Amino acid sequence: MEHTHSDKPTDSETPVSYAEVNDTVLKMLEPPGTGWFLLLFACLFFLAIGASCWFYQMWSGFGESGKSHPIGWGTYITNFVFWVGIAHSGTLISAVLYLFRAAFRQPIYRLAEAMTVFAVMTAGLFPIIHLGRPWYALWLMPYPNQRALWPQFRSPLLWDVFAVSTYFTISATFFFVGLIPDIAAARDRATTKFRKALYGVTCLGWRGSHIQWKHYQAAYLIFAAFATPLVVSVHSVVSWDFAMSIVPGWHATIFPPYFVAGAIFSGVAMVITLAIPLRKAFGLERLITPFHFDAMSKLILLTSGVVSYSYITEFYTAWFSNNPFERFQFWFRPFGEFWVAFWGMTFCNCIFPQLLWVKSLRTNIPFLFVLSIFINIGMWLERFNIIFQSLTREFIPAAWGGYNFSWVEVGITVGAFGWFGMWMTLFIKFFPSVAITEIKEILPPPMRRGGHGHGHDHGVAVGSGH
Amino acid sequence: MVESSSRAVVGVFTYMDDALEAVKSFKAANIDYRMYSPVPRHEIEEVTYPQKSPVRTVALICAITGCISGFALAILCSLDWPMRTSAKNVVSIPAFFVPGYEWTILFGGLGTLASILVFCRLPSVLRAAGYDPRFSHDKFGVVVACPGNQVDDVRGRMLNSGADEVDVRDSL
Repeated sequence: MEHTHSDKPTDSETPVSYAEVNDTVLKMLEPPGTGWFLLLFACLFFLAIGASCWFYQMWSGFGESGKSHPIGWGTYITNFVFWVGIAHSGTLISAVLYLFRAAFRQPIYRLAEAMTVFAVMTAGLFPIIHLGRPWYALWLMPYPNQRALWPQFRSPLLWDVFAVSTYFTISATFFFVGLIPDIAAARDRATTKFRKALYGVTCLGWRGSHIQWKHYQAAYLIFAAFATPLVVSVHSVVSWDFAMSIVPGWHATIFPPYFVAGAIFSGVAMVITLAIPLRKAFGLERLITPFHFDAMSKLILLTSGVVSYSYITEFYTAWFSNNPFERFQFWFRPFGEFWVAFWGMTFCNCIFPQLLWVKSLRTNIPFLFVLSIFINIGMWLERFNIIFQSLTREFIPAAWGGYNFSWVEVGITVGAFGWFGMWMTLFIKFFPSVAITEIKEILPPPMRRGGHGHGHDHGVAVGSGH
Repeated sequence: MVESSSRAVVGVFTYMDDALEAVKSFKAANIDYRMYSPVPRHEIEEVTYPQKSPVRTVALICAITGCISGFALAILCSLDWPMRTSAKNVVSIPAFFVPGYEWTILFGGLGTLASILVFCRLPSVLRAAGYDPRFSHDKFGVVVACPGNQVDDVRGRMLNSGADEVDVRDSL
């Protein structure tokens, strides 16, 4: 039964039981229909476009990407920052909100974590693509070599290598550990040899004994504690790629919190973009309720406020500094050649999300879907504004230049969405994309004596758990 | 040492407190047991395994190792190829905070993963005697491995605690 308001379900509704959680979520793993294949085909088609463009670029030379003086960093770095930003929200929801025992986390965090892992995998492609000669990517790693060289540890670009590779490793590990008990549930229900083998291997033989749960819970808390500082640190390190330079519009101490807030902003929007069609397609309305969308909307409102404040601060500090280069840069962004990108960013990130002050809109599913897409467009434009606009108008006019997008970089950008979409599409059909165990944890356990056990009313239609 | 006639008595419970009642009965009689549940609960933990898990200690040791390793990597590599950049010292501790910090988290996380695999005995390739697929669904289970002459006593304790069904199987 669909809720018409954002308040938690009433007691008159049929409560969700442990069995229903298993049945609802594991039903998603049944053999796919035409729609899933069409979606996968579309993702593979876009991926093929991106791969073809990349091969063409490697064959013909990096100049085909459109990068040249003065814009040496363009679409690829914009995409890199965009995708790393998307990833942060997943870790926020799965780790940070776990530590804070947030009420709305459980039904959406698995999807958010999957989004994190696949977004980092997507982001990680771009520094390699941007190398031009990707076979030299190994040089980023500190390994003994006959050139007697080591990477430059004082460079933010190398900090990025450490930060993003650590982020991927820890996110993937956290994701996998959280999946283990749910994969075991899928194993116990699998009917085909392939799925029994797949789930049997990937759940590592998990049984859910009291000893296993004890160590599992302790480890999960530790993982959450380790992943939490990554939410702040990784995108701060990425922001230092810009802030540690002297380029007008880049050299700002506000960049770390500005980037982190923007990352969470875009990531939560992407979770909404993914959760709404998933909920509709698989009938998850009783697990992902308007309560969860209301909570995510409030998070979007908060981070939109922080991002808007950051924009204002950038302008104010540029004006106050009396530095002619900074002042010009922040005049050029709203009134120069790329004014469309600036005002598009402002509308999508600062103005449009303010509609979420209206309570009914926070649980209006079609509105939230449209808004979430606009937010991600706005956040892509934000990175475009930071990177392109600053590089087109550096210190002296001799260093200025224009830019025309090449079909190669557009194709690779499209391919990145295909890559991300492919992994998400495969994941939702082969592994539980809603956390079975954690939803059961918030339901009262079945108790014969003393009424219901200690559960938490967290927006899922709760009940006796039986 | 398990006797050759050892059996696994499997109790399937719908209610958690019934399963805990059985566990308390076995603990009082000093009978070894294993409890399965579809979800971790603090009520179960308080009865079955109240002591702290060593995972935390392993994670801390690995994290400290990572921190030292991260700084050491950056410092030693810089000393091996001492190239001055941007007027900074060759060994720039503020700059090396980033690899040190990241490796603290990396080593800590991987250490936690290793400890969970070790302490939970994963991957587990042997068939768990007494495990029932319903234990990952909505049932609780208590499994006792015992010699054949104790089966009736164990079965009685489980039934008295409210087990829905009690099954006796061969144990490995």
